[in-house]
Amino acid sequence: MHGEIGCFDTNSMVQGADDGIGQVLQPPPPPPPMAGRTINIHNGFEENLKMSTEELENLKLSKEGLSYHHSYLHHQEEDTSAAREIQLQNHQQMAFNNTHLMQDSSNQVLAFTSSSLADASTYTSTADLFNLFHLPRCSASSLLPNSSISFTNPTHTTPLGFAGDLPMTDTASASSILYDPLFHLNLPPQPPLFRELFQSLPPHGYSLPDSRGSSLFAGEGDDHVEGSGGGGEGGLYQDGDGEQQFDNGVLDFTWDMACMGKDREAGKMTKHFATERQRRQHLNDKYRALRDLVPNPTKSDRASVVGDAIDYIKELLRTVDELKILVEKKRCARERSKRLKTEDDSIGNTGNESCSTVMKSIGDPDQSFNNGSLRSSWLQRKSKDSEIDVRIIDDEVTIKLVQRKKINCLLYVSRVVDELKLDLHHVAGGQIGDYYSFLFNTKIYEGSSVYASAIANKLIEVVDRHYASTPSTTPSTSCY
Amino acid sequence: MEFLGSAMNELCFTQESNRRGRLGRRKVEYDDTREYKSKNLHAERRRRQKLSDRLLALRSMVPIITNMNKATIIEDAITYIQELQQNVKLLSDQLLEMEGSSEEAVQKRSDEINAAEEMKQCGIMEDVQVTNIDRNKLWIKIILEKKRGRFTRLIEAMTYLGLELTDTNVATSKGAMLVSSCVEGSYGDTLTVEQTKDLLLEIIKSI
Repeated sequence: MHGEIGCFDTNSMVQGADDGIGQVLQPPPPPPPMAGRTINIHNGFEENLKMSTEELENLKLSKEGLSYHHSYLHHQEEDTSAAREIQLQNHQQMAFNNTHLMQDSSNQVLAFTSSSLADASTYTSTADLFNLFHLPRCSASSLLPNSSISFTNPTHTTPLGFAGDLPMTDTASASSILYDPLFHLNLPPQPPLFRELFQSLPPHGYSLPDSRGSSLFAGEGDDHVEGSGGGGEGGLYQDGDGEQQFDNGVLDFTWDMACMGKDREAGKMTKHFATERQRRQHLNDKYRALRDLVPNPTKSDRASVVGDAIDYIKELLRTVDELKILVEKKRCARERSKRLKTEDDSIGNTGNESCSTVMKSIGDPDQSFNNGSLRSSWLQRKSKDSEIDVRIIDDEVTIKLVQRKKINCLLYVSRVVDELKLDLHHVAGGQIGDYYSFLFNTKIYEGSSVYASAIANKLIEVVDRHYASTPSTTPSTSCY
Repeated sequence: MEFLGSAMNELCFTQESNRRGRLGRRKVEYDDTREYKSKNLHAERRRRQKLSDRLLALRSMVPIITNMNKATIIEDAITYIQELQQNVKLLSDQLLEMEGSSEEAVQKRSDEINAAEEMKQCGIMEDVQVTNIDRNKLWIKIILEKKRGRFTRLIEAMTYLGLELTDTNVATSKGAMLVSSCVEGSYGDTLTVEQTKDLLLEIIKSI
């Protein structure tokens, strides 16, 4: 039993309450043995903890509220809330079974949950019950410091906050003492430990790890707690990590508790956390936007997104160059034809220099100088089942196509090639293992201005369309 | 020296841990405050290095740079890519409209025109050859006069008649097109040499 409560070793635990807490930490503890046990052990508390029937009724009343609370919490950490729920149910059972309701464990849980409730005012009637702990609150909660029921066991010590009357100011120091040795450790996820912490910590500054920023404490208007909770959680995200619930939970308490005593700094820290989180979100959004611009995104990690972007920029630059050359060629050709019609030399001056040199020196429509540069471009497009590689040098187009074997795409591709007005010179390819692979060497017909990305896009579209519409292969077409 | 020592310790630990495998965390006994150390120290460093190298490369490609931090690099890259895409669209639209308004028809290449004559000069005749390779496979060789779109029509006809080309090779020379290919029956039926040869000859005549 003591072994489970390892984190509390440094803090002197209530001797008598140990077993009770231990029981709490094993969900779900069977109610009857627990009840029996606690009756035996908590004899010392019995006088102090006698519940009046009135309080019993109050407890019943609070049940509805607590169930509301549970549903409210439900979207939060489900493990812990489930555990708590189970325990709560057990405790409630016990409450009906015996009058010795005031058991440390149940009180811890109940007090915790009640304190976090948005509508604290409903529970004024149960104030006595929950005042057992006198857990410090930083909002104008209705829970009063003077409780009719208090632990007077001398072995109780304050650190855990659920014994005796703790004035608010003490808690800060107490808890800071309490938590310092524990929480500057960056503990990795340890579920049982977490649950223990979670149950035994006072609710002040409890921020249930609130990953979406929805406010648990909205009703209280307790900005400080909310901010610190959210901020604490946000601030502890690792870059890209920090999704582990337990990690966040444990570390949340660290920051919250640490901040409790230093209000002003806490305010600044929470701002930091919030802005830091925002900054990270913005950065992630930008990465995603970059990824969406690129035509063939593969992996979605940052390095590959940037790598894809670099390749895409290069491809776009090539395409722009190619298009510029084409437009120039076209313009030249047009002007040439105009010139031939009108036989007006002055037109040559309006066109490019290259055009005019062509006209003057050679007059051969087939040769285009383009200032000595060859038109060249290269493109790759990948889709789910096919890969297309298009290379253009001057007027020769080389198309490589790899496609997962489903249809014999030779026919479709050659159709497309004809449509694009490419002259097929050489074809090689066939079935290779699981894939169809083809290589087409084509030449562009004179006067056609087709460019690389058009070819690639059209091809991949056609291939995919046919791929999608074809049923699966018949076994007869497979070959060795 | 202290620093060196601790650094060495760290290295030793990570080397040791690499032996055990990368995943998981290891408890370091000597230090109470740091119980677990990630084994991925070097891998993480390398990953970060790789990312920063790539970001640097990206920055070098983008001409308009505002600030020199990670977020703005990516932002600038995004705007630059969008700008380039707009450019491409503009130019291709221009090209399209020029093509539309152009009076030139797509002409044959000058070397196409003489295809038939060249063939005759070299004495190449249109021909079909069929051989049986395997139980189901045939090997065909076709010599065609090269005309625009003829290859496509050939493939179409062959597919329609149930001949599937598994391995194809097409070469053009001197106005003639040579098609050599392995052929199988699309529907699993076996083909005879004679049948196929007749079929192909008919096809060639019709396209």
